[in-house]
Amino acid sequence: MGILVKAAGLTKRYGDLVAVAGIDFEIREGECFGFLGPNGAGKTTTVRMIHCVSPVTAGTLTVGGLASGINNRALKMITGVIPQEINLDNDLTVAENLVVFARFFDIGRREAKARIAELLRFVELEAKAGSKISELSTGMKRRLLIARALINRPRLIVADEPTTGLDPQARHLIWQRLRQLKTQGATLVLTTQYMEEAQQLCDRIVVMYQGRILKEGSPASLVETEIGREVVEVRVPPEDDARILAELTAFPCVHERVGDTLYFYCRDGHSLMRKLLELDLPNTLNRPATLEDVFLKLTGRSLHE
Amino acid sequence: MSLSYRIAYVFLRNLYSYKRFIVPTFLVSLVEPLFYLVTFGIGMGAYMGAFGGQPYLHFLVPGVLATAAMMSSSFECLYGTYIKIVHEKVYDSLIATPVSADEAVAGDIAWASFRGLVSGSLMMAVALVMGVAPASLWRAALLLVFLVFIGILFGSLAMIVTSVAPSFDFFSYYTELVITPMFFFSGVFFPLDNFPGWMKTLAEFLPLTHAVRVSRAVFTGQPAPGLGWSLAGLAGLAAVVFAVSIRMMRKRLIK
Repeated sequence: MGILVKAAGLTKRYGDLVAVAGIDFEIREGECFGFLGPNGAGKTTTVRMIHCVSPVTAGTLTVGGLASGINNRALKMITGVIPQEINLDNDLTVAENLVVFARFFDIGRREAKARIAELLRFVELEAKAGSKISELSTGMKRRLLIARALINRPRLIVADEPTTGLDPQARHLIWQRLRQLKTQGATLVLTTQYMEEAQQLCDRIVVMYQGRILKEGSPASLVETEIGREVVEVRVPPEDDARILAELTAFPCVHERVGDTLYFYCRDGHSLMRKLLELDLPNTLNRPATLEDVFLKLTGRSLHE
Repeated sequence: MSLSYRIAYVFLRNLYSYKRFIVPTFLVSLVEPLFYLVTFGIGMGAYMGAFGGQPYLHFLVPGVLATAAMMSSSFECLYGTYIKIVHEKVYDSLIATPVSADEAVAGDIAWASFRGLVSGSLMMAVALVMGVAPASLWRAALLLVFLVFIGILFGSLAMIVTSVAPSFDFFSYYTELVITPMFFFSGVFFPLDNFPGWMKTLAEFLPLTHAVRVSRAVFTGQPAPGLGWSLAGLAGLAAVVFAVSIRMMRKRLIK
């Protein structure tokens, strides 16, 4: 598979603030590539540079071999953007939103009509073609944003937190549609704060923090290498740590104390669990390790504000 | 500057959204001139006698036409554009498409100019009903072209204000300190001849003074002194203001 997006030393500064601090990554044609990170990590800034609405301060960024840039219409022609903020045109109806967007991409009237019908079917909004935007639910608005992003049959789809604020049904529908687009051959670039979303959609992810990439890999391999297979949580006051840990020296588990909980990251949580039950610690939980554990381990558990 | 035929797409987007507002805006554009022409033209005009050999209304109409185009285009590029940037985020979605930020801004200025043309045309229609008509048909056509030009000039000027506006309130400075004084000191309601010298000089620096002068000359067919200079000055100013407005809006839109 070829490389579609390639960044080397990619940097974005706003005055003194460094939003993206010289990162390198490659996105392959046809994969779903995810940027994970807490608020302010630089995810959105990075994808905005990829889809040519924010100028690159330093470093190089190419899409399909072309340098990304504000006035690079050729790249904008092959890119579809699902924005974080719902910026549908409230003065226009559902169908008019798509009609106007089709014009922006030089799509002829007849061709646009066919695509709009097809896209409204794809996002299950056929019945809403004539509705005002204010009459749509948040889920419908997000689906319309997807339809709008697809009007130019993009080779590269950039989805910036596409399911923020949605209920589970709406979220799953959007995930299905995004997966469908991938099987049709599009390359997907996703930013998200939802670990489940990354696990559901992404072939490869990078975890970003303070403008840098901390780790890169497939969701499963990151969990495996950073955390292990299982996590055991013990809810005990910190005073008991020394006593408990003394009992567990035989177990090859890494541990971490966060707030009211003692975490153990293990290959085999079962024997540890048995031992903890022997110690009569009632408030314990053994669960599979997830991407969320990786995320919290890498970016810290304190609030990012 | 990155400008192309895509300016027309932005205009088209505005035309689509206009459907919602077309009735109220037409009503406003009709009622406002009626107020001016009835109160000043007929009410006050009755005390003014003949104005250069004609009823006062004939003096008033060309000035009010230019003013209407100025007002409409200004407000469109102040409030209309600000809403599209800050509240509706129309610009955000636009610049992610092959339409450039420059084209988005130019499209909005073109749209503002169109709104000015509509206001001016409606006002001209009202004046016609009241028996005040341009000297000939081709002069009427020329006047409409001039209204488009006035819209581009004042739309661009307002766009500069919008490019630095932190909030709606900021627009009051411009409307109260620039637009309103221009309205009173540009020879719309009376000739500037009786102003003291320094005020006359000041008035020559107001673009509306020249717009009114041109409008009146085209309307009545009576040549005015310095008409060529007025036109040249306005054209030069429009070119500069248009270029600056695009540059400044680019700064606001592209981060």
